[in-house]
Amino acid sequence: MYRVAADIGGTFTDFVIEDQKSGEVRIGKVPTTPDNPARGILNGVNQLIEDPKDIEFFVHGTTVGLNAFLERKGARVLLVMTAGVSDTYTIARGHREELYKLHYRKPKQLVPRKDVHEVVERLGPDGAVVTPLDINSLDPIIEKVKAENIPAVAICLLHAYANPAHEKEVEDVLSRELPGVSISLSHSVAPEWREVERASSTVMDAYVAPVVELYLATLKKEFLDVGMNQTIHVMRSNGGVMTDVHASRHPITTLLSGPVGGSIGGVELSKSTGLKNLLCVDMGGTSFDLSLVVDGQPELSNETVLQGLPLLMSIINIDTVGAGGGSLAWVENGGLRVGPQSAGSVPGPVCYGRGGTQPTVTDANLFLGRLGQESLLNGDMTLDMDSTAKAFEKLGEAIGLSATELAEGMIAIGNAKMADAMRTITVGRGIDPRDFTLVAFGGAGPMHAVELARELDIKQILIPNFPGTFSAWGMLQSDIRHDFAATHYAISDDVDISQIAVLFDGMLNDGSKTLTEEGVERSQMEFMRSVDLRYVGQEYTINVPLGEDLDLNGAIDAFHDLYQARYGHALHGSPVEIINLRLTAVGRLERASVSTAEKPASQDPLASHRDIIFNGQSYHAPIYKREALPNAEMFQSPAVVEETSATTIIPPGYTFSIDDIGNLLIQAEENAQ
Amino acid sequence: MSNPVNPITTEIIRNAFNSIAEDMNAALIRSAYTPIIYEGKDCAVALLDDRGEVLGQSLGLPLFLGNLSLCVQIVAEMHGWDYFGEGDVIFLNDSYIAGTHLNDVTVIVPIFWKGKRIGFATSRAHWLDVGAKDAGQPTDAHEIYQEGMRWAPTKAYRAGEPCEDILTFLKRNSRFGDALLGDLHAQIAAGSTGKDRFCALLDRFGLATVWAARDDIFRQSAEMERQTIAAIPDGTYRADGALDSDGLTDDPVPVKLTVTVEGDHMTVDLSGSAAQTRGAVNCGATQTVSAARVAFKLLINPKRPVDGGTFTALEVIAPEGSIFNAQEPAACSWYFSSLGLLIDLFVKAMSEVMPTDAAGAHYGDSMVLILTGYDDAKNGELFVAVEANTGGWGGWDGSDGQDCLINNVNGSFRDYPIEVYENRYPIRIQKYGIRADSGGAGKFRGGNGSYREYLLTNDASMSLWFERSHTTAWGLFGGQAGKPPEVVVTHPDGNEFRALKSNATPLKAGTVIEVKTGGGGGYGDPAERAADLVQADIENHYVSTAAAQTAYSS
Repeated sequence: MYRVAADIGGTFTDFVIEDQKSGEVRIGKVPTTPDNPARGILNGVNQLIEDPKDIEFFVHGTTVGLNAFLERKGARVLLVMTAGVSDTYTIARGHREELYKLHYRKPKQLVPRKDVHEVVERLGPDGAVVTPLDINSLDPIIEKVKAENIPAVAICLLHAYANPAHEKEVEDVLSRELPGVSISLSHSVAPEWREVERASSTVMDAYVAPVVELYLATLKKEFLDVGMNQTIHVMRSNGGVMTDVHASRHPITTLLSGPVGGSIGGVELSKSTGLKNLLCVDMGGTSFDLSLVVDGQPELSNETVLQGLPLLMSIINIDTVGAGGGSLAWVENGGLRVGPQSAGSVPGPVCYGRGGTQPTVTDANLFLGRLGQESLLNGDMTLDMDSTAKAFEKLGEAIGLSATELAEGMIAIGNAKMADAMRTITVGRGIDPRDFTLVAFGGAGPMHAVELARELDIKQILIPNFPGTFSAWGMLQSDIRHDFAATHYAISDDVDISQIAVLFDGMLNDGSKTLTEEGVERSQMEFMRSVDLRYVGQEYTINVPLGEDLDLNGAIDAFHDLYQARYGHALHGSPVEIINLRLTAVGRLERASVSTAEKPASQDPLASHRDIIFNGQSYHAPIYKREALPNAEMFQSPAVVEETSATTIIPPGYTFSIDDIGNLLIQAEENAQ
Repeated sequence: MSNPVNPITTEIIRNAFNSIAEDMNAALIRSAYTPIIYEGKDCAVALLDDRGEVLGQSLGLPLFLGNLSLCVQIVAEMHGWDYFGEGDVIFLNDSYIAGTHLNDVTVIVPIFWKGKRIGFATSRAHWLDVGAKDAGQPTDAHEIYQEGMRWAPTKAYRAGEPCEDILTFLKRNSRFGDALLGDLHAQIAAGSTGKDRFCALLDRFGLATVWAARDDIFRQSAEMERQTIAAIPDGTYRADGALDSDGLTDDPVPVKLTVTVEGDHMTVDLSGSAAQTRGAVNCGATQTVSAARVAFKLLINPKRPVDGGTFTALEVIAPEGSIFNAQEPAACSWYFSSLGLLIDLFVKAMSEVMPTDAAGAHYGDSMVLILTGYDDAKNGELFVAVEANTGGWGGWDGSDGQDCLINNVNGSFRDYPIEVYENRYPIRIQKYGIRADSGGAGKFRGGNGSYREYLLTNDASMSLWFERSHTTAWGLFGGQAGKPPEVVVTHPDGNEFRALKSNATPLKAGTVIEVKTGGGGGYGDPAERAADLVQADIENHYVSTAAAQTAYSS
């Protein structure tokens, strides 16, 4: 029996297949089929697994919702808000993201103003009814949805986080009058205060709902047709998984389903290696994604912004900068710049021979020998060294550098940019990166990992098994996870703990009910409480764990300490505001045992040698085949480790070895710079 | 050697300067206590070199652009560079040094590396209350002494030790002493972040390399700027307008602006503008320079980060004793109204030779409503609700102006969510929306202003600062002007009054305040507006059918 994960990317769908008994892992890649991603998955399953009935657990990261949003191909949504204030959605808080732009336009909302409607009702901040709901004011809305065949309705009423009664009443009426129309309610999507952010989240849910529902139904049907009748699991933005049933009910939670796999993979690596703090970096062609594992835990946020649109949802913190193998070099007033523009896949880097003439970071890697001419796709793609060299000479002349200096310089600038992003998520938050191990994956990550680590004075680097499909592997390591929240505003010196207990009990009920629906046994359930705190009058909150005993004072002490650690000062003894209560419900999933199988010792790991330039000096470096490297034997850099999905470059000054679970561990030598 | 660093090192160091400034800004915003900082982004940070020139600056409040640099240089002129000791933290808010109102406090953290002073991590942020005569910010001050405490450069820390006497003094002279100290420490945290990261950069590259890279970066910026100016035809370009009043009388306050372009050099001359007024629309010369820089930056290389090479081609003339170079004891609380107008006028003056870069004028000012009182439901606790209002921006060649956007001298200010506002203050926001028909008609129309209706559920006193009803947002190249702002107050007994400025007017629970902000100016002849755009405006209720018929039926 197998556990299978599929990560649907823009070009390829990556597969990781785990044999449940032996723990053996296989990887595979099939082209993504954007018109119907379910077909790509099925192609992969058919190619890689003899009998789909042998699949016991299937999880995948879907970009269906995200793509519908990015390409603006979601459903037409009608938004209903409280009478008098429905323009708040369109005004979107009135701020400017770019301050030196006379020609500024706000990010375009998903719902045009003509489709935003009002219902007569009003609640106060405590949830008390100020104006009763006037059901008749829904009539024109019902007529319009019918007449114009609008497939989705989002409802966001003022103060619904405090009292959802009016939203529920509206839902009752609309679902009765408008069968088949998808309805999203703000108190269910994001039960937190701030009407603009909540409305925006609810609209997003409604916008992707029909697309995600259709996709999941199609996938399920096609799976059934080939005899696989197991539940389909979907990765969610918070790093947990959920069943397709739940995903259809809360489509917004699938939005960042893809990239979180890598972060969860990081958490699992932390468990299996005992390394508590990991800085995970995923470098592909156009972007560089960073996330942290601190003390074995992923970092979560409860809010994010996508293309300028705010979303209240639980999400793994992933920072992205525009730097990758495709980043282009250019000259401005005698200064050399790298990125953020990317050559993309067309024309792509010069060395791909598809018409690119401007050098990219990938070209620099080839020119310096870091990337072999036959390294990509196991030699199925040969790279064009001649054109690459010409491109470097030409640009080098323009700026007074030799071709080698330019190539090394481009990598240095690209690395420095990525390192600045790494500093921002560590040093910028009061975290010392030297306490971390760098975990690098993605197609280009292992190529730059060691030099990035050196920029931050990180001594240890880990390249996991199958770095090119690490995100898919991470998905297999996840648990079922649901996050619940309730806004409860109070000041620390005037708290009614019984009210807080009631709210937590309510969330606990919801949590165990949801987990039960997802087939989780009670013994496998776990619940974590936390509370968002801040000093009186502040805006940003810090999320602090809260024990089952609801020891708020303990949590407040922890808050002062966290604040001190993050900002270098704290106001011990000052009153603290409680904003939101949160409950995380986790259903533990069984894993395959970790493979520790000994490898055949017969194969010679040394494949060849190649001339590689580091710091202007050429080294005749050994090229190793990763799958043939024996466990626990120490090797010396400079060296290159090649495998199907990636190439790891190790500059002088490091030792490296394969640990007992197959990770490539690279260590700076004591006296290395 | 003239250029001992290669372009690669220079680029790495240039990115690092900007990244350091971003991190300083993040530290400040995330640890600040007052919403005006973390929501209004009424703050700015800059990393400066040993002579106070900008190495890196994050995009904070535009009006503080380049101003921190001048502050450090003025303090050095006063006390010498050795005044800045290791472990010191210096703060100041003197309007005649910093240029802005007393609520804006500049904090300077000198940076030492290997025992040598090599730079400054500086920030400025708006503090909620610095002890003015009225809570928040008075609108009727006529001397700076009424506007709060005025601090010449003062040390809050000496050699790493807090000056407890000074800190206690600060705390006791503010209505929100805890928040004041919290914001001071947020600024110190930003300073520490800048200091740590700058020292780490020096550890890696050494001083000589970093300075050589700096020189190269400044050269690049200065060169880019001169090229852009050289492309503008030589000549003299003028525009003028007026503020409604100084808040004390009804007399307009004229602003006159002359831009001279000569080769690769530009001069902004404010001669002919009003003499300093009794009311608080004055500012120090430093702030006028900043505003001129913001205006300049809107049209000249807006995407290039600011550094010590930026603005070397710009000269600003602000006559002494005018509203733009005010002297003691001129009041400065509402200094930004004059500067917002200055910026709009600069764009207007240059529109003649930069028609595609320009835009119609925007609604013009922060349009501030302040409500303060003692909340009966919270045991008489003091509340101060201060909020700016969004309005319409001007259309430009290719697009309509934005509806309901915060004004040009504000940062990325966000309005308060109604749900947060109502939890915090005994006030209900009954209506908040887009004010149809308020943007000026044009081939590309001006953006619409906003309207809000507040119901007081507790007694409160109201201060208003609404401007630009005299010089409303003008259009360009045939575009029409936007509508002016309006405020209507209806007492519980049904009587109403209109005002645009007022100070601490007492109002009873049950009073309704309706505020409307102006729209932006249109661009181009309305007769040329595409029919489908006119239709879409009607469908989306941005323009009423009647108004569309008047403006667009040719």
